Amino acid sequence: MKRKLRLLLMFAFCLLLGFSLIVLSKMTNGQHLYVSTKVVDDYKITIEGERQDMENLKTLVEDAQKKLDEYEALAEANEDLTRELEERMLADIAFYQLASGSVAARGPGVVVMIDDGDRELESWEDPNDILVHDLDLLLIINELKASGAEMISVNGQRLVDETSISCSGYTVRINEQFFARPFIIKAIGDGSRMSAALIGPGGYGTWLKEWGLLFKVKITDDILIPKYTEERNYKYMGAVDKVKEGGNN
Amino acid sequence: MGIIPLALRLNRNRNMKEERQMKNKGGIVVITVLALLIGLIISVQISTTESSDVGGLIPVGKLVGLEQQLKDLRTEKETIMQEYLELEARLEEIEQKNLSENALMQVVTQDLEKYKMGSGVVDVVGPGIIVTVDDPIPIEGNPGDGYSTIMVRYDLLLSLVNKLKDAGAEAISINGQRIIATTEISLAGDNVNINAIPTAPPYTIKAIGNPDTLESTLTIRYGIVETMRNNYGLQVSLSKQKELTIPRYSGVIKFRYAKAVDEVTETVEE
Repeated sequence: MKRKLRLLLMFAFCLLLGFSLIVLSKMTNGQHLYVSTKVVDDYKITIEGERQDMENLKTLVEDAQKKLDEYEALAEANEDLTRELEERMLADIAFYQLASGSVAARGPGVVVMIDDGDRELESWEDPNDILVHDLDLLLIINELKASGAEMISVNGQRLVDETSISCSGYTVRINEQFFARPFIIKAIGDGSRMSAALIGPGGYGTWLKEWGLLFKVKITDDILIPKYTEERNYKYMGAVDKVKEGGNN
Repeated sequence: MGIIPLALRLNRNRNMKEERQMKNKGGIVVITVLALLIGLIISVQISTTESSDVGGLIPVGKLVGLEQQLKDLRTEKETIMQEYLELEARLEEIEQKNLSENALMQVVTQDLEKYKMGSGVVDVVGPGIIVTVDDPIPIEGNPGDGYSTIMVRYDLLLSLVNKLKDAGAEAISINGQRIIATTEISLAGDNVNINAIPTAPPYTIKAIGNPDTLESTLTIRYGIVETMRNNYGLQVSLSKQKELTIPRYSGVIKFRYAKAVDEVTETVEE
């Protein structure tokens, strides 16, 4: 009897142990109990990003506050606020014209030339390997932006926020216009920084050159970038009403 | 063999049995003590790894703290944004009051709105789609190498944004960062910077435009979404929206090198 009881107890204990192991393993596998370090890292990066973004917003608030204080000081001193405002308005217009690409710009920077490779293909290679694709252009432009380019044009087309670059057969479409090789990218900004980013070790330009494409970068003192010629018509978006937004955002 | 020895042996047998039982009890005690010790060691071990984060896994409790921190930050950001919008509204009011009699300035004000919109410094609202991209779920067969797929292949994001623009998107943001003319998406160290702000998955891409066109451009067969899902195992989801808000560019636009050029001189030069 005692033996049987002990066996029974043992059995129950083993059962319990088995169950708890299963439950434990399930919980771990399904990420309920533990998460990988990556998830935590992602959180940390996001938090850091939000913090930096908040700093940016604080700068905006400070600028707006400063402007408001100036207006109020002017109003108190009984100065002619209208003229001051007109001047500021015109300065703002000039600035945002430049920022939105509605006016041509000039400055120092780099000229990048990129063309299909002219080397002979190895037997296993595909002609696509030595052709310039839209992604190549996108990555080069992205690299230029990352290294501080202020304005960029590709084959005379000003790149603005809504510009896409897409391969369609033999040509590349930029701002609804078609272009073929070679591609000339002009960028205004810190020339040496931009060229170093492209043709330095590990740069995208270096990589393209090794692959057999033609790639040249020239630092220039004076670059002219034309304005964006398309009409900007917004069919879908409108500015958020500032007062209304206070409630629902 | 006589009877006595048999009895003796029986007796001895009984004695041995008792002895064995005694020994058994001793064994159980030892095992209990050992088990307790092992249990203690295991729990100590677990609690030490818990606190040091060195292992591959981290208890979910830590995440809750981070989640809360992020939530607090976002609320705080929202408050600052609100403050900014109120200031802007007041500035606008002053401008309106002082310039309303001047017809020319009225036109100029409208122009300014247009250029500001094109520069991406205005919060905008409209129909469009929201795309979310997240890393593959780690499974037993493919636990991942600790790197984020979408961060290493940030060119997929670049491509996605390019496709959205191609489909006529009028405004785009990634994780709250408005895409403007100078926006980069670049791998800097361990994180992907957008507008010089570090970002991490999951990525939420918002685009304003024709929702149907935007969606079908992305979901075309062998298109970008299919590539992301099939070739990289990324989790991608799309949802069309009747109305969504895209925030303004939060940075300060500065031109240190570029100067505006008069149209007339430009045509002469070209």
